Amino acid sequence: MARVRLNDVTKRYEDIVAVNEMNLDIEDGEFICLVGPSGCGKSTTMETIAGLTKPSDGTVHIGDTDVTKLPPKDRGVSMVFQNIALFPHMDVYENISFGLRLRKYDTDEIDRRVDRASDIVQLEGMLDRMPNELSGGQQQRVAIARAIVREPDVFLMDEPLANLDAKLRVHMRTELQRLHKQLDTTIIYVTHDQAEAMTMSDRIAVINGGKLQQIDPPLVCYNEPANLFVAGFIGSPSMNLVRGELAANGLRTDHFDLEFAADGLESAVGDGVTMGIRPEDIYLTKNADSVDSASEVIEARTDVLEPMGDEIFVYLSLDDTSSEMMTSEEVSTASNQLLMSVDPDTVIDADESVSVVFDRSKIHLFETASGTAITHGIADLSSRPTAAEAEPTPTEAESGGQHE
Amino acid sequence: MTTASEPAEQSTDEMGPLERWTHGVVNEPEKRKRLYRALFYVAAAFFLVTTLFPFYWLLVLALTPSGAITRGDWNVTVPLLGEIPFPTPQGFNVASFVEVFQQVPFHLYVFNSFVLATATTVIVLILASLAGYVFGRLEFPGRGLMMLGILAVSYFPPAAFLIPLFDAFLGNAVVVPFLGIELFEPPRLVNTPGSMIMPFSALFLPLAIFILTTFYAQIPDGLEDAARVEGTTRLGALFRVIMPLSAPGVATAAVLTFIAVYNEYFFSSIMALQNQPEQWSPLVGGILSYQTQYTTDFNLMAAASIVGVLPMLILVVVAQEKIVSGLTDGALKE
Repeated sequence: MARVRLNDVTKRYEDIVAVNEMNLDIEDGEFICLVGPSGCGKSTTMETIAGLTKPSDGTVHIGDTDVTKLPPKDRGVSMVFQNIALFPHMDVYENISFGLRLRKYDTDEIDRRVDRASDIVQLEGMLDRMPNELSGGQQQRVAIARAIVREPDVFLMDEPLANLDAKLRVHMRTELQRLHKQLDTTIIYVTHDQAEAMTMSDRIAVINGGKLQQIDPPLVCYNEPANLFVAGFIGSPSMNLVRGELAANGLRTDHFDLEFAADGLESAVGDGVTMGIRPEDIYLTKNADSVDSASEVIEARTDVLEPMGDEIFVYLSLDDTSSEMMTSEEVSTASNQLLMSVDPDTVIDADESVSVVFDRSKIHLFETASGTAITHGIADLSSRPTAAEAEPTPTEAESGGQHE
Repeated sequence: MTTASEPAEQSTDEMGPLERWTHGVVNEPEKRKRLYRALFYVAAAFFLVTTLFPFYWLLVLALTPSGAITRGDWNVTVPLLGEIPFPTPQGFNVASFVEVFQQVPFHLYVFNSFVLATATTVIVLILASLAGYVFGRLEFPGRGLMMLGILAVSYFPPAAFLIPLFDAFLGNAVVVPFLGIELFEPPRLVNTPGSMIMPFSALFLPLAIFILTTFYAQIPDGLEDAARVEGTTRLGALFRVIMPLSAPGVATAAVLTFIAVYNEYFFSSIMALQNQPEQWSPLVGGILSYQTQYTTDFNLMAAASIVGVLPMLILVVVAQEKIVSGLTDGALKE
């Protein structure tokens, strides 16, 4: 068990910088997820911690030792690989005990530990099978057993569930959480699946383009994304982002305006500001009673409905263009489209005029140029009460909802 | 329809026998199958006869008493053809297989060849494994050029090395040509296994490197990474994971090297100054020592050849089983 510290770790290849001045401080016993789109450098970061690649710059500490120059075998880490990487010429027992046999443990000790590890991952009675006789989930469990049997300080998992089918993946997800509780070891987990990251980790490290974007608990990343990338990446479907311009009394966009006092913000009037709102924070005006601080009414046409069972995703068009040719990803960044979610029993039809309001406390503002978050929630920024506001908020000029 | 098929049927009757047969083979799957089977048997018989006939001839010579070989009557009466020469045993002299060991210490020659072949194979496998790992799994500038260099060396005629090597192995000082600068004085290696194993290893290394490079390059990176995280060095991963998984390739390289050295005569006949087992003369040297200035015991030479081939036969059969099994259950997935 140990802390892991990355200090300005940079990995340069001939033509690209895979990891750029990464600083990570991972607490003892923490479950950290590194998430990001493919090719963002999360696996390279992981390999740097494991020692499979040497960083071009910076240092890696595990516990109190500087392991930057140590080979992988001396770092006290174990790793589960995306492609499982069981040794095909060894049976399950030999696979699990490989590391112990290399370290010359005596046979009784090896047997005891292998028994325990295979108990934890529920592999009893399969120790003499060959890897190719096992199912995908069983192979993955062998790989995990091989990693835990050495009782490492740090556990590295590089997309261990990526090759499993959807059902098994959800099952293994809970097993991994149970495992973390049981072992209480530091776990660093790489994934591009944000559902995995949200559900399992203590903190999420969002990485893009080799740079760390934000490292925070999952709900903080969700509710208070540090920048536009995190806002768009965390959450499914992703946040609606609408570009606009900051004015003295609010935000102007092509199709609607939001009123709030801009003088409490760090950005100057006239700056490009992007507004973000999650689909579940948009309400039909007739259902807006539950919203404490509703925004101005926005007129829109419904375009496409996607009933998911527990909710309906509604694509809203703010002008007359249709989103038919767009994916939900494109919708979330197009200024004339909004995606909202409504209760499944809502009476709503495609191609219908509706009026919607935003929950002002859930509106995020970002600087368009740098992407940095300005504020999360503009409920407390109201300058004057508007018609759509259910409860006019008394505070003025206080930017209490501001988080950085 | 009827008008189209009628002329075809008529023409079948007008066809000659060859035409009718080709027509049948082209149109009827049953006849085609029969033809393919016949062709297979013809080809198989050809290869069997060409490879096994020399052995048959050796056996005939070994069983025929020495005197009967030179003055014997080798003609066989074949019906229709009359008398044609064909080797058939002129007697049944099994004793020649024993005499082989009585006349010269043939087992010592076999032993020499075995030691030379084993030592060379071990050296070649170790060096070629290291080279194959580097060429197959690492990216570095100049890799292509170095591979090309090895390929080029492997095409040098062995005779090109012979004279300088013989000169050096006799214990003469190695001198820079034209300048006359003496570099060092090598130990006298002629009549020792060193003088043979060294050139053999150098000569058979390139082939083994090429075989192992292709095999090692196919092992997924993940397996090596896993082994390294689990506690091996790169070298440990090579010997514990990569080599066992490339067993068919390693076996192929080993068998090819072993057989090549076992059969080698060119270098060893020169590096062993006389055909004496004490001077590390190999198997072929042993076979030739049944020949004296005035007599040649063809029956003993034939018997010795058969005795010399037997270990190889066993080795190849065993190794082949290994290679085939390695190929079938070597379904390599990570």
